[in-house]
Amino acid sequence: MASILIVDDELIICKSCKKILERSNHIVDYVLTGKEALKSVQEKKYEVVITDLKMPEINGMELLESVKKKWGNVDVIMITGYATIDTAVQAMKLGAYDYIPKPFTPEELQSVVLRLLEKRKVIEEERLAEERDLIRFEYTMPGDLYYLPEHAWVKIENSNLVRVGIDDVFIRSIGGIIEIKPPAKGETLEQGKLCAEVKDTRGNIHKMWSPVSGEVLEINQDVTNDYSVVKIDPYGSGWLLRIIPSHLGADLKNLIHGTPLVKWWLEKELVQGRKVKYVMAEGLDSNFKYEIARQPGGENITHCFQCGTCTASCPVRAIDERYNPRKIIRMALLGMKGRVLSSKFIWLCSSCYSCYERCPQDVRLTNVMSAISNIAVREGYIHPLYINSSEILKNHGRLYEVSEFDNKLRARSGLPSLQEDHETVKKILEITNVDTFIKRSRK
Amino acid sequence: MRFALYLGCTVPIRTPNYEISARKIAEKIGIEFVDIPEFTCCGFPVKPMSTNATMLMAAYNLALAEEKGLDICTLCSACTSTLTDVVYKLNKDDGLKKEINSQLEKIGKRYQGKVKVRHFARILYENVGIERLKKLVKIPLNGFKFAAHYGCHYLKPSEIYDGFDNPERPVSLDKMIKITGAQSVDFDEKNLCCGGGILGIDENVALRMAREKLENIESADAMVLICPFCSVMYEANQRQINKRFSSDINLPVLFLPQILGLSIGIPEEELGFRFNKVKTKSLLERLKHSNKEEVIERA
Repeated sequence: MASILIVDDELIICKSCKKILERSNHIVDYVLTGKEALKSVQEKKYEVVITDLKMPEINGMELLESVKKKWGNVDVIMITGYATIDTAVQAMKLGAYDYIPKPFTPEELQSVVLRLLEKRKVIEEERLAEERDLIRFEYTMPGDLYYLPEHAWVKIENSNLVRVGIDDVFIRSIGGIIEIKPPAKGETLEQGKLCAEVKDTRGNIHKMWSPVSGEVLEINQDVTNDYSVVKIDPYGSGWLLRIIPSHLGADLKNLIHGTPLVKWWLEKELVQGRKVKYVMAEGLDSNFKYEIARQPGGENITHCFQCGTCTASCPVRAIDERYNPRKIIRMALLGMKGRVLSSKFIWLCSSCYSCYERCPQDVRLTNVMSAISNIAVREGYIHPLYINSSEILKNHGRLYEVSEFDNKLRARSGLPSLQEDHETVKKILEITNVDTFIKRSRK
Repeated sequence: MRFALYLGCTVPIRTPNYEISARKIAEKIGIEFVDIPEFTCCGFPVKPMSTNATMLMAAYNLALAEEKGLDICTLCSACTSTLTDVVYKLNKDDGLKKEINSQLEKIGKRYQGKVKVRHFARILYENVGIERLKKLVKIPLNGFKFAAHYGCHYLKPSEIYDGFDNPERPVSLDKMIKITGAQSVDFDEKNLCCGGGILGIDENVALRMAREKLENIESADAMVLICPFCSVMYEANQRQINKRFSSDINLPVLFLPQILGLSIGIPEEELGFRFNKVKTKSLLERLKHSNKEEVIERA
């Protein structure tokens, strides 16, 4: 049960919304103007304001700004016509929880309110836990994503392709998922319009708006086969669609990216008396694990369930705690690309294959470590040892120079003389770009 | 039996005793080694930089052996692992083989996939066989205790080696030590890595790894191994380990063909003992002495 204020200049809309929401035992009032709304919110402690976007005098956008400024813990839902979808998306950026396009069904209104109240419940529970247990919640958000706050995210793969997923807050406020209905492959999506429908265990259907416009190229089968993937890894393997964007530049302007998102959340949470820590993991690359998986040897990285058998088996770890295979994989899975690639510990694998043999998930860590160091080399991080080794190989075709003295010594022991074929090795290092990577790292 | 002998980088320069003794044993047993002077590095040292470069370097060497219609016998365990891994992957994945061949063509080679790679110790254990080796023993090394060091790449990753020995509880090397008449002693951390893979990255960590194993071998006359770089770690670096960690280790480190050679009657001068860095003089003296006693006893 919640206290809700409806604001619309059309009386019939106000009355029908009141009727629909009262069925769920909410306390509902309505007013016909923005001015009256501000007065009512000041007088009564409403938890939710549902306002039309287009109204005379104070419009929905101005009302939203005023409400959020004065009473930050009041959530605002916008009602909008399809002609003003752009503005509705911008409203979310300004702090609106969601919007409902007109015309809407009673179920559509109810499910948005339900989701909002569920989210408020989660926040309240966390706040109480903070007070009671003196704990502090910490959320980490990948820094390379663009967000339609509390709703969806976009990851740019390249200028012609983006990956879209459902935001963690949206998923947490739904509860159990029994169906995700994505758009069809080839379908054209528009920013702010329907992207996917998510059905919860109570039968409510929640609409997820598309954060970008474009054509659906691929639907993540892992998600359609197992909905729990979006809960477990919402910003990674739980991605929903791959889209060929049509108006990416314009669409991104309506989304929040990077540090402003942390500010957005902090402002939201602080007014509610929370002490939540939001970490915008700048430089987090949610695609890093896929990059490793595409590299020869890295294919099984996502099989890791962090049991730590690798660390327990590692003879290097037994001596030097800096080298912790489980931690390295964890960091890679989290997308800490920069930190992993630039760190010295990635070169500390002795390639003894103990972890490889014992891993219950067949991650093949020795090979994964090679895949990671191969990427590091490409990105310009090369351990000096390997620069020296490749120089020797280029000059001698072997890791040790064969001198005249060596061959004399061998002859004296009845061993055949050795020859060097540095040209072949030099060419191999050129063909495989090792030479280029070394030159680049020197620059 | 005829094999292309793949020496790799370390054996011919840093452990001639291994090469000399292996060639002698092969000759005695009737294994013909063919030297291919064009062989280059196997590719193991460049794996952290480029798996592709490693595969191409390995495939180049495999192609050289294939041109001569020979399988490869290796002495170095890292070379064995690298070459076997590439054979395994190329046999399993036609697409990858095509891709590697398209790169190999740029250096005038092509690999069809006919070559088998075997470590010399495995050839002795499987192809020659324990029974035949036993029959060759003339001077049993009775009373000697040896500690077998398998190293990592001789048996791992196990999937590429058809499971010929158990990587967690290996026996092949122990069995071959036993047929010489010597005792193969057990010790803690028998499967511990020598640390050679990170010697150039962090010398201190690598040497501590080597020290740990050396200190665990208490009751052996010598360590017996089959990999040149493990030998570098345990033998060539033994003095450095003692200096750095104020320890007092003095453990001879021998190659399997050296002790096999002694037991089948090859004179020690022909087994490269003069190249052993931890001196083996007292060990060999003891052997001569015990042999005399045995001759007298038999008489």
